[in-house]
Amino acid sequence: MRLDEVISAELETFLGHASTPRGVVESCWEKRYPGAPVTERVQVLRRGAQRTYVVAAEHEDGSLLLAPEPAPSAQEAVPAEDHRPPVAVPGVAGILQVRDLTVAYGPKMAVDAVSFEIRQGEIFGLLGPNGAGKTSTLSAIEGLIKPQSGSVLLDGIDSRRHPNQARARMGVQLQATSFQSELRITEIVRLYAGLYGVGLSGQQIADGLRAIGLEGEAHKPFKQLSGGQQQRLSLYIAVVHDPALLLLDEPTAGLDPQSRRQLWSRIENIRQEGGSILLTTHSMEEAQAVCDRVAIIDNGTLLTTETPHDLIEKHKNDPRVREVARGEVTLEDVFIGLTGSEIRD
Amino acid sequence: MTSAKAAAEPPLRLVLSSLVRADFLVFLKHRRALIISLLLPVFVLVSTAGDKATHNFGGGEYVIGLAIAYGLLSTSLIGYALTVARDREKGVFQRLRVTPAPTWTIMTSRLAMQALANLIIAIAVVIIGSQIHHISPSPGQYALVLLVSILAGAVFLSIAQALVGLVRSADSVQAVARLLFAVLILLGILGQSGALGAFWSSVARWTPVGAVMTLFAGVLNLHAWYSRDTLSLLVCVGYIVVFAGIGIRWFQWDAR
Repeated sequence: MRLDEVISAELETFLGHASTPRGVVESCWEKRYPGAPVTERVQVLRRGAQRTYVVAAEHEDGSLLLAPEPAPSAQEAVPAEDHRPPVAVPGVAGILQVRDLTVAYGPKMAVDAVSFEIRQGEIFGLLGPNGAGKTSTLSAIEGLIKPQSGSVLLDGIDSRRHPNQARARMGVQLQATSFQSELRITEIVRLYAGLYGVGLSGQQIADGLRAIGLEGEAHKPFKQLSGGQQQRLSLYIAVVHDPALLLLDEPTAGLDPQSRRQLWSRIENIRQEGGSILLTTHSMEEAQAVCDRVAIIDNGTLLTTETPHDLIEKHKNDPRVREVARGEVTLEDVFIGLTGSEIRD
Repeated sequence: MTSAKAAAEPPLRLVLSSLVRADFLVFLKHRRALIISLLLPVFVLVSTAGDKATHNFGGGEYVIGLAIAYGLLSTSLIGYALTVARDREKGVFQRLRVTPAPTWTIMTSRLAMQALANLIIAIAVVIIGSQIHHISPSPGQYALVLLVSILAGAVFLSIAQALVGLVRSADSVQAVARLLFAVLILLGILGQSGALGAFWSSVARWTPVGAVMTLFAGVLNLHAWYSRDTLSLLVCVGYIVVFAGIGIRWFQWDAR
């Protein structure tokens, strides 16, 4: 269990005057949730930095002594669901924390107080029908649109207060990526590497393009690449600076099955190397195949956040889901059951 | 993939040099467009080569000023505005904006390349024009022409910026830019030549093209610099402040 950001803020205020958080937790917790059991882990956000504490000792007077959480060893890593490699470590501090994010376009509320967290080494899927608020959520995280309220903490950086620092830690693949049409592939790679502060030699660029199977296209302009090649290049550029978090907006839209599988494999490789990924998708197959956890968003509101397996288990007996299921309940049945069958524009 | 390599914001110098290098490559690949932008000024210079025609425009300095103004108008209003509108519609700016590069660096790099194009056009027109109209500018006057080119280029770039600030779609920007281009050219040629009468002649004098043309004529004939040239300078600064203000205030990075 972790404290919400309101309590974190109270802690932050207190910690501004004390050298140790001892005795704080239960008082804040009691104040906020009288009678509730006290927490065992506390994440404290202070001046843009995040610290995680665990209860080291419980005193006779009921107060707690907190100690910084030790870094998890590889042996402590808990296996993820669906037999995927045990890279995601539940309990490890979130690489991305979105709290009460609200985005409105005039009177239309596109994202309504959405909160979620992505852990280190986790692939998190944001699912939703057209116009549900997926891209608006991503755009707010990326800093492309200014949210009305809420907070986005990326790797401990407040992205609203320090947008460029936050962007330096994220890699982005937009839904419709376009690079300057006059530039060749190598020139595009050099440009974006420079924008992320990475100096690449000609040989390094050639090696990188070879790794994604584009060595023969190095001197072509971007528009001459096929859809799959464009996506591969776009993903390569998104991770050229080894970001802490990769944001992918419908990365496999319009790709053939081969390209889609290849992209899944690349996404999985990025996760294996310790990267965290937030992706939006319309494909339930993709969500099930790639994501550790998924969140379903509709009409700007986050409906649920679970592992794909738990989502099905939790909702398989929901009458709305049973009504649309044909045989064994799938993730798509749950999705349609929760968001409705009507077509969205 | 770890956050080690991207622990901090990239150095501003590296960001700017990367953007400028890329924009310079685009500039080189558009060199044909630059040559086409020179066609109209050269046509103006050649078609006013006779004594009478030159006299109608107030002298060789004014003709050269008019030709430079047209060149800058062409490359700024048509070239810059259309490129920005097209890149915005294609999502090029959005892709750049999700990098740690400050947004001002993206526009600064583009404007720097546009300023370079303007300088090349201005110098080329002065060299060709001085041959055709038998004017011998001193090195100091060439330097002044370069300075005024930057100012005049800023006038037309600010108009282009206002245009892409007020109009979203690339197609609409193209249509409005061409219309504006035609109106300013016609007003410049017909107004300055006196063909439309005294009223339009004085209106034309204070349009962006007229003010810029007067400035160029002023620096090419410094002995005859008088209050109208100073007023033209102030008018140019006024245009820059107003149009750049509009362009920055209402500019949207996304075409949607």
